[in-house]
Amino acid sequence: MRTSLSSGLAAASLGLLLTGLALRSWSVVLLALPPILVLALGSLAPPLRPEVVAVRSLSRERMATGQVAEVELFLRNQGPPLDLVEVADLLPREFAVVRGTNHAVVSLGAGGTLRLAYAIRSEVKGDFVLGPVRARSFDPLALGTEDARVNVTSRIVVAPAMEDLRRVPIRPRKTRPWFGQVPSRRIGASTEFWGVREYVPGDEVRRINWKASARRDRLYTNEYEGERSGDVVIVVDARREAFVGTAADNPIEHGVRAALGVANSVLAAKNRAGLIVQRQVLDVVPLAFGRKQLYRILEHLIHVRPGGEWPFNYVGHVLSRFFPRDCLVLLITPLTDRSALIGVMGLVARGYDVAVVSPSALEIERRLGPGKADDAIAYRILAMERANLIAQLRRIARVIDWDPATPLALALGRMMARPRPA
Amino acid sequence: MTNVFRSAPLLLLGGLQAWLLADLLSLGDRRWVIPAVVLWLANVALFASAAAFRWRRARRLGPIALGSTYVGVQAFVLGVQLVPAVTFVSVLIAQVELRILAERFAPLLRASISSAERRQIGGALLRAVLRISIACALSIVVPLLAAEVASTGLVPLTSILTAFLLSGGLIVVVVLLALLPALERRARRPAPFSDEAKDI
Repeated sequence: MRTSLSSGLAAASLGLLLTGLALRSWSVVLLALPPILVLALGSLAPPLRPEVVAVRSLSRERMATGQVAEVELFLRNQGPPLDLVEVADLLPREFAVVRGTNHAVVSLGAGGTLRLAYAIRSEVKGDFVLGPVRARSFDPLALGTEDARVNVTSRIVVAPAMEDLRRVPIRPRKTRPWFGQVPSRRIGASTEFWGVREYVPGDEVRRINWKASARRDRLYTNEYEGERSGDVVIVVDARREAFVGTAADNPIEHGVRAALGVANSVLAAKNRAGLIVQRQVLDVVPLAFGRKQLYRILEHLIHVRPGGEWPFNYVGHVLSRFFPRDCLVLLITPLTDRSALIGVMGLVARGYDVAVVSPSALEIERRLGPGKADDAIAYRILAMERANLIAQLRRIARVIDWDPATPLALALGRMMARPRPA
Repeated sequence: MTNVFRSAPLLLLGGLQAWLLADLLSLGDRRWVIPAVVLWLANVALFASAAAFRWRRARRLGPIALGSTYVGVQAFVLGVQLVPAVTFVSVLIAQVELRILAERFAPLLRASISSAERRQIGGALLRAVLRISIACALSIVVPLLAAEVASTGLVPLTSILTAFLLSGGLIVVVVLLALLPALERRARRPAPFSDEAKDI
């Protein structure tokens, strides 16, 4: 392939020749010789097509956002010597090179090798592919190029960072018949005192309430509150309209981080967790227990990308078909439109216990903006509209207005401390 | 090393602009000087805007504008002095080549890379600079030799016919050089039913 420099030189030499002829000036004609000579020297050794093989190794194939992975690329020239070759290991645009370089311009003799070592980091979660490797050889004066692609690709999965929610108990209001950690308002086996009843043969001696027995002159037994497990369905709103901000700082990325933290906390407390993601398609992960379910949810959350223009009511249809009515629905949405209010009203009317975590798109946008006087007024108007919507929602559900710059645990703790709406 | 290499194209460009300005100021007639200096300022503005706004087209147009201003002034007003004119054109080509090299190599030399990688990249860079220097020297010497040969009368260049033939020959050489990569690619492509294709 010819570069623009060689085209420029050819055009300049032709122009000078024609000008010289038109002016009948041999001096001007002679001025055409330098570009012609450079073109001729460049054409003496035309660029050869690179015949290279490459091997890439990664220090890790799965990492969290913000973590660093080391990459090593070994390249070997299997063809004739390459005088000047540019090598680039192509990376997805979400990755930043934090150390070393993924790009080099070198000479490679026959059988010559090149080792590129560099470290990469991504602030955005996702399933990415590194590569292919691009090699471009130049002629001695960089007037022509020949390209080759080495199809060496490596998969790297970047998981969202996990929010620490260990100190925030997320408890569904209605429990299921399995043992868990949610107080169930039913008699069972735990340590929380529930009441006293008369002793019946077969009761454990250590459960006898000796003080009450001495006072009444009859044996009494302590009863305890049973701890059961519940169901939590996490709904992530990843519709296109929910995307406000940058690739790393937007309500969807923060919502995914929150969803993973909540799922981890819910599953660690021996509850069942499920997931619905509203994006280009509706992703559904049915309710289940345990560590495997966390990995299932994580796998779905990694692939969340903004997209789709579904009405919010579709979530209600999916919930009523795939999930029981006595589960806690934790809705993670930036509340960018009023349709969420109608959607939540519909869910509450069907009998679901609904909690809303709303990563504030307004705060994200405010941090990104330059902060002019007009922006301050616009911010105040939008903040009032948002506060109004949240106040309406609080009549029927628990809602937290979450500024993603603050820890989610703080906001969730406040929500859990607040009484449920009647 | 990195800073010298990065600043070399800029220094060369500054030198060429100063050279052009000196030539323009040497014009005796004031009617020519003012438009010529305005043209020079436009030239400088083109380079400055290309650098400030990373305007790719301006970056390509800059050397063309500089070269054509110089040649135009030499050919139409001052009269071509062969040695400085050939040197100017050759240095201008070397400046463009060096700028392309600097754009390619400077980010690599800035990056935190291992000493082995740095050595490998540095070696390639030195070879590329050496080649550009040789090409620049040859492009100055050969036209001067050609002029010398012509003036000593070794080649009869006095008739219109020989002048046209020589110019035609030069045009053919330029066109062939420009088309060479495309012709080579076409020659390398196997015919649809050649032996090579059958073997595959």
